[in-house]
Amino acid sequence: MNDHPNDPFDELMRRALSEEADRIDPDDGLHEIRARVRGQRKPVSRRPWAITAGAAVVGTAAAIGAFAVLNDTAKPADEPSIAGGPNTPTSASAEPSSTLPAPRVTPRPAPNTVATAPPSTSPSDTSGKTRGIEEPRLSKPKAVRIYWLGKVVGNKNGPDYRLYNTWTQVKGRPATEALRLMTMPKIANDPDYVSPWEGASVASVSYTKDLIMVDFEKLPSATLEPDMADMAAQQLVYTVQAALQQTAPVQITERGRVSSELFGVIDTSTPLSRAQALNVQAFVWIESPGNNQTVKEPLTVTGTAAATEAQVDWKATNLKTKAVVKNYTNTKEGQKFSPYAFTPKLGPGEWLIEVYLTSPADGSITDTDSKTIYLK
Amino acid sequence: VFDECVAHESSWDADEALTAVYTAHYTSLVRLGALLLRDNGSAEEIVQDAFVAMHGRWNRLRDPHKALAYLRTAVVNRCRSRQRHLVVVDKHLPKSLPDEPSAEHAVLRTAETDRVIEAMRTLPEKQRTVMVLRYYGDLSEAEIADTMGISRGSVKSHAARATKSLRQVLEQSA
Repeated sequence: MNDHPNDPFDELMRRALSEEADRIDPDDGLHEIRARVRGQRKPVSRRPWAITAGAAVVGTAAAIGAFAVLNDTAKPADEPSIAGGPNTPTSASAEPSSTLPAPRVTPRPAPNTVATAPPSTSPSDTSGKTRGIEEPRLSKPKAVRIYWLGKVVGNKNGPDYRLYNTWTQVKGRPATEALRLMTMPKIANDPDYVSPWEGASVASVSYTKDLIMVDFEKLPSATLEPDMADMAAQQLVYTVQAALQQTAPVQITERGRVSSELFGVIDTSTPLSRAQALNVQAFVWIESPGNNQTVKEPLTVTGTAAATEAQVDWKATNLKTKAVVKNYTNTKEGQKFSPYAFTPKLGPGEWLIEVYLTSPADGSITDTDSKTIYLK
Repeated sequence: VFDECVAHESSWDADEALTAVYTAHYTSLVRLGALLLRDNGSAEEIVQDAFVAMHGRWNRLRDPHKALAYLRTAVVNRCRSRQRHLVVVDKHLPKSLPDEPSAEHAVLRTAETDRVIEAMRTLPEKQRTVMVLRYYGDLSEAEIADTMGISRGSVKSHAARATKSLRQVLEQSA
């Protein structure tokens, strides 16, 4: 339809419209679309494993700090309101002091005060159950595991995203640092990994033997579809529990207060429990080397997988020559999360290393992880 | 692994297709809508509507290329009816301009682009749509005809008239 292919008018039109189009940078719309698709298809799915450890009917508007929630967890079975807890519409009229014993209304100090307070406040305090201690500073750097969300490739019977993780060395307070890094997906240095916590800012992490308390200066503002929101909540639970080496439930607060809804859907008025690993962790991932890492030969790839027949397939593709090397390895044990390792002979160059699990039923790829590395 | 995904695209279920087509085309469809409407918020809304509709009929489309054609048609149709609605509303309301891109995204246009975009605003809706699909969408005459549901002859004549008036306006403002 173009009579004058080199017409300056055509050029001008193309240039101008493309320049105008480039100025438009839409926000992410996928979550919105998915949420609407879901809404048309079926009601919002319930979250079987976002179980709360002990629930009281609390108004989110009431200034109940983490300490109040802590006392509830001490005797969850006695709480008559458990059944109605998470689904009961929050009511600001709930008067904390009328439903909770007196110590619970003790207001929590502002997070900043906690952060700067000397740790000596807690050891002298005998009532260790009612006061969390701020996690101590490390004397030397330590590697912590940070969890990320990665898209599940072929497995349709489960969540769209699962938890992957990377290691990073931190100084200072390991859990606070790990969570802070978790809000910065760039740290993962892997385009396959995302973090819905981006933009949030962590104030402090404190704990007792029954509860971990994570206080945010600012919670993430993103609204997610329920399944992804649950996975993001588990991302935090797994990261903070790994850094503290304990598995107590996690109470999230914002500036010392119980926030209303996390990611628009998660009720954080009660602590979040750790979900079963098989429900949330990726079924296969590469632990080492890291993405974009330069490695000297011989290369050893290590990772963890939960493979039915203990078999992990791998494929290495030279990104320049397109040469492909394929083989498989076995995890130490089948059925459960178990380590694997293999040492491919590849030669120098830039390689894409992929590990994947195949379905015993039809041979299709169900789960995968990949890293690009430079071998020399 | 990725290659295999592409090879198996015809076996995608609706959710997989949604993600893949979204990743590949969402931004360009929103831009198309925004060029037609000059309203980014409405463009996003319309494109999202189109994706929801595409997801619902994936069993009939079964092909990313057909899905894209479907989305394009849906977006263009919805933008056109929105524009016609806006014209009607405009006649009854005090003059209000559609949203400009928000300040944070507002990279300054070059003077040249500014002139073209302003000149495009003077065109009737059909002529403007043809020009956007031709020069931004890079569609052939036949594709434009399909997308807009008009004959190829009409596409040709709209394009010719639009080109003539644009040339005139641009020469005057040059």
